[in-house]
Amino acid sequence: MPPPEGHDGVALVTGGSRGIGRAIAQRLGEDGFDTVTLGRTSGDVQADVGDATSVQAAFDQVRERYGPVLVLVNNAGERRDGLTIRMSAEQWESVIHTNLDGAFHCTRRALDDMLKARWGRIVNISSVVAQRANPGQCNYGAAKAGMLSLTRTVAREMARKGITCNAVTPGVIETDMTAGVADQLMAGVPAGRIGRPDEVAHAVSFLCSEGAAYVNGATLAVDGALAA
Amino acid sequence: MAVTEKEVLEEIREQLEAIKVPNAREAQPESTWTELDVDSLDLVELVKALEDRFEITINDDDLKPIESVGDAMALTMRLAEAKEGTPA
Repeated sequence: MPPPEGHDGVALVTGGSRGIGRAIAQRLGEDGFDTVTLGRTSGDVQADVGDATSVQAAFDQVRERYGPVLVLVNNAGERRDGLTIRMSAEQWESVIHTNLDGAFHCTRRALDDMLKARWGRIVNISSVVAQRANPGQCNYGAAKAGMLSLTRTVAREMARKGITCNAVTPGVIETDMTAGVADQLMAGVPAGRIGRPDEVAHAVSFLCSEGAAYVNGATLAVDGALAA
Repeated sequence: MAVTEKEVLEEIREQLEAIKVPNAREAQPESTWTELDVDSLDLVELVKALEDRFEITINDDDLKPIESVGDAMALTMRLAEAKEGTPA
């Protein structure tokens, strides 16, 4: 379902060129949204999401070319795993920069458009590791847990304005990142299988719909009961 | 052209109405944000609108002592006049 009548705008999916992001962009397009993807080097517009100036320039471009951003899916992410004792400051900062700073900068810019429209949907793609720690992912887990707090704060701040902000926590999902290790990862999933990108996209689609107007500040797990 | 008090008050009323503040049309210079049920986010929206409309920049520090419609009017007029006095 596209934005309600009179709210002309686009759905922007960061990291929307592959994996979960691509499935989300495709699904929102099927739902009737004009969908725009943002990537570091691919997508309809390019930006380093962790860089405020770069994000501002990209949003200006989106506004000019496609229209205001009324749906934002913060999906751009980066993983650089390593045990905490061996992790470099650069490894830590880089992952926080892309995953958490990126979600903030894009949210900050999108809210300008959403506030004017009195309508908006923000969905943060967090991760099961925000709730269930995974050795080797202290940077990724901290960033994804930070996104959950960002989600709840924005939800409370914007609740009166017709804007919702929710999070999805995917578990083990079949993407390029999990190719080759699927069997090993699947062993710990109660559902007995790994998830598909379109299953995450389905949850995002619901959170962006008009029917989810009262769902705000929530975290929706799409993980086959991995974090349950 | 100098900005008039009436103009600023009308703009504030219009914006408060757009922000869905109850009784926005009856807002008077002496009306406080508390009386009007204007919260901090409403105030941010109002400030953005005043900045756009009168081509001024309102800093966060300027906002701290602003507690009423009259305070916002005085600040807007001061900044608009200062801007007009600045050579292009």
